[in-house]
Amino acid sequence: MSAKLMMKQVTHTYGDGDGARTILNHLDLTVNDSEFVAVLGPSGTGKSTFLSAAGALLTPTSGEIYIDGEPLGNKDKSALTELRLQKIGFMFQSAQLLPYLKVEEQLLYVAKLAKLSTKEAKERSAYLLKRLGIWERRNHYPEKLSGGEKQRVAIARAWMNKPAVLFADEPTASLDFSRGKEVVQMIADEVKNEGKAAVMVTHDERMLEWCDRVYHLQDGVLVEQ
Amino acid sequence: MFLALREMRHSKARYSLIMVIMLLVSFLVLFVTGLARGLAYANVSAVENMSANYFAVQSDADHAFRRSQLSDTELSAARSMVGEKNATPLAVQMSTITADGADVKADITFFAVDMDGMLKPKVVQGDGITNETKGSVVVDSKLKESGISIGSLVKDQASGLTFKVAGFVKDSSYSHTPVVYINNLDWQAMRQGTGQGGSSAQQVPYNVIALKTTSSVAAQITSKLNNVEVITQKQAIASIPGYSAEQNSLLMMIVFLFVISGFVLAVFFYVITIQKSSQFGILKAMGTKMSYLAWSVVGQVLILSVASLTISLLLTFGMNMGLPDTMPFQLKGQTIGLTSVLFIGMSLLGSLISVAKVAKVDALDAIGRTGA
Repeated sequence: MSAKLMMKQVTHTYGDGDGARTILNHLDLTVNDSEFVAVLGPSGTGKSTFLSAAGALLTPTSGEIYIDGEPLGNKDKSALTELRLQKIGFMFQSAQLLPYLKVEEQLLYVAKLAKLSTKEAKERSAYLLKRLGIWERRNHYPEKLSGGEKQRVAIARAWMNKPAVLFADEPTASLDFSRGKEVVQMIADEVKNEGKAAVMVTHDERMLEWCDRVYHLQDGVLVEQ
Repeated sequence: MFLALREMRHSKARYSLIMVIMLLVSFLVLFVTGLARGLAYANVSAVENMSANYFAVQSDADHAFRRSQLSDTELSAARSMVGEKNATPLAVQMSTITADGADVKADITFFAVDMDGMLKPKVVQGDGITNETKGSVVVDSKLKESGISIGSLVKDQASGLTFKVAGFVKDSSYSHTPVVYINNLDWQAMRQGTGQGGSSAQQVPYNVIALKTTSSVAAQITSKLNNVEVITQKQAIASIPGYSAEQNSLLMMIVFLFVISGFVLAVFFYVITIQKSSQFGILKAMGTKMSYLAWSVVGQVLILSVASLTISLLLTFGMNMGLPDTMPFQLKGQTIGLTSVLFIGMSLLGSLISVAKVAKVDALDAIGRTGA
């Protein structure tokens, strides 16, 4: 067991003086490999801020975050970009695929950024697309895919560079219940399969059956259910 | 380039449209440039093709050849400084000629030159004339279109003298009129015939002295001879009547076209970039470096501008072949090169606004975004 994501005493405040709002308040979280953690909370509780901080997009006011053992605090912008590329996989709301790339190219693009060889990239993308059941759709543009298929491509893209942690931002928001469940199950399967960690932020309590742990974000801290 | 090329492949219509606009603008740039160069050449080719690089003119003549009057005194002074062969007198006279046997009345410019000197016309058809020939001229081949051929007799309206056409030269115009070369002997006769000159042949003045020399010697001559100013060939050309007015208005058009092409491209790409700003946020969140995205934008602009420039160059060449000879159009490699570099430079400059916009997009925007 090793910690893929570790957040220690993370605090984030917007504004200063009297108008300051503390969104994260000495938050602690550790996610180990093969663990799938869900973070719940109604909108406005700071889920986005939590995910941005954990995903190396936002430097918190104080506290320390480790991704795969590497501390983020002393890294500059370009080092964080590189770290996101190598260590973090993102799934965004409504998939956010690039409209002008075919399904396979969505995956090849991130592999190219990470400087994977073409052969390696092709093999990896074929493996992921087949596992997620969208291999037949590899030469389609996103506009031709259903919402569920798009999210499956997004899962494949997020896992493409073998990241240490996957962050999923409301992955089921634009899907109906059964499609949503399918997508969450697939994330869970990949977590076990790849031996990596995943954190899903959601407001949908019906999507939790495959999660190892479930937290509620309340008053800037995570409360385990 | 991975993204740039695939995006263009996906949105063909969008990028084709902007390419058509750029194609038209760059074609217009090249065409107007060619026309400006062609007009300039048609205007002043006689002076442009001279091997002289400096001209001595009277200092109060305002650089204009026909206003200047110089005599043998200045000629010998100049020759003593630059060498016998590198200074030769030139007399310029605008006039109208008629031709026997042809219904022609043409405005021309007489160039009286030393037929042994460096201004000796380069005859391409027929025979040249010597300093001793009387009553013979070499004319610009444009006069052929007026029905003049070798052996034709042309009559100068002002003096009433008649000359026989001995040969033709190419590309010899002065102030949009064809040049008729005569020797000094005929020049003296012409001037005395009009009653303007003095009694003896030596006293008929020249207009200018053509010089082949260096800038330091040219400056020396200016300071040494008190009523003489030495100007460069460029200055001389700019002072030819109508030249500056014509070229400046064309130049203004060209400059505006460059600015317009830069702006059109800048605005187009800026709008596209704004439209895509959420995509850029996603790309940055996924770990795409800013330099990669900047190259992506600049790369697209580069591809579009180079492609449209190439097509418009081909169009320009094609059209040039189809143009009638009377249409003054001239594009040399150097002009094409400069125009192309400027055009691509303007396009790249325009793309920088979009690059700045991409740089401002925050990766943070990717989280919590519901829109597509």
